[in-house]
Amino acid sequence: MPRRSRRPRTTLLLLVLAAVTIITLDARGGLHVVTSGVRSVASDAFSPVRSGVNAVVEPIGSFLAGSIHYGAVREQNQKLQAEIDQLKMQSAESADQAEALRQLSALLRLPYLNTLQSVPAQVTDFGTSDFAATIDINVGRSDGVQLWMPVVGNGGLVGQVVKVSHHTATVRLITDGQSAVGTRYGPPPGSLAVVNGTGPGKPLSADLVPSNTPLTNGEVFVTSGLQGALFPAGIPVARVVSSHTGDTASQESVSLVPESDLNHLRYVSVVLWGPSA
Amino acid sequence: MTRGEVARLSLVVFIFVVIQETVMLDVRIRGVHPDIMVLLPIVAGIIGGPARGATFGFATGLVSDLFLPTPFGLSALVGCLLGFAVGLATIALDRTAWWLAPLAALGGSALYEVTYGALGSILGQPQMLHVALARIVVVVSVTNAVLAIPAMRLVSWGMADASTEGMPTSDAGVGAAR
Repeated sequence: MPRRSRRPRTTLLLLVLAAVTIITLDARGGLHVVTSGVRSVASDAFSPVRSGVNAVVEPIGSFLAGSIHYGAVREQNQKLQAEIDQLKMQSAESADQAEALRQLSALLRLPYLNTLQSVPAQVTDFGTSDFAATIDINVGRSDGVQLWMPVVGNGGLVGQVVKVSHHTATVRLITDGQSAVGTRYGPPPGSLAVVNGTGPGKPLSADLVPSNTPLTNGEVFVTSGLQGALFPAGIPVARVVSSHTGDTASQESVSLVPESDLNHLRYVSVVLWGPSA
Repeated sequence: MTRGEVARLSLVVFIFVVIQETVMLDVRIRGVHPDIMVLLPIVAGIIGGPARGATFGFATGLVSDLFLPTPFGLSALVGCLLGFAVGLATIALDRTAWWLAPLAALGGSALYEVTYGALGSILGQPQMLHVALARIVVVVSVTNAVLAIPAMRLVSWGMADASTEGMPTSDAGVGAAR
């Protein structure tokens, strides 16, 4: 005979308490080592499954797309259209390869890294959550990547490693609302500011810029590299697109765009650097 | 819960995780990807009632949290609340009605996403409200409404001993929606 749960409210209360406890312990650090370890193991274990399924699903998707395309081709002119498609494909492939080559070549000579060592990585996914601006990359602990290491692109800072497993890592982009980067701007030695993310696809904002600071559009904010900072000094972060001071504001309201094109990332470099380095 | 049921439900959750982490992550509708993991507590709530909906929502939420960059435990918290709420809201309804699952998925997914953003914000992640929440709600709700019926069949298969909470006594022997 089917069972009947007699105390659903008690069950709910216990589950809510358990969830809140997990969240609190994780946030306060008591459980973070455990949860990040479990996440890392899950990511490692799931990685081959993901690759296998992708290998199966992608050809099916291509086949379906090809079938749809085939119908349209036959309605017009099969032969001519096929040629056009082929030319288009070649052109797209060339452009695609050229873009990949451009990004890879640029990563080989990042002037701002100086002597810092880095590991090139391919971007495998753009964000597993709609509530955070992150990317997944195909390097992990086995490549020397550790938590909180900076990640750069050909234009400048991309973000920071926030989750790392054996062969993969998750990078929080500088546009994420949780991101805050200590920066310098203006003529040397430069003034200090904090560049904050305000959400995916939105411009960055800068804190600690005094009111009426003369900022020009296009001025670049670079990482400050202060003692204990999360990033080494001198990495371009973002460029000013607008600034103004309100009548009663004590700070300049500054809007910036990332130096790296975060919407078209394919390859990045993880800088093998930590705050203690 | 029997061993067989645990095995079947684990398989169902695994299938959902695989689809979410492969196919769904590649599907982007105006920058938002669907989230079929939200369907699990919803259909579990319909099939098993408030307590089992909450328990299943908690468990599947913890699994989701393994793959998300957001606070660990947040999906579990919202999942158990949602499973309970759906179970409670549908307790007096005919659970075999074909429209119930899509409708519950539509409303439940919207509720989940809003609660997820709001609770995340309260729990120290204010950026979780600085996203295109309306777009996320629409994309996730509509895709889940479309996929609700197959999800219902899968979870029904997994929950062989579904509870009869709130069901009329005459239906108790029949079990939940299959």
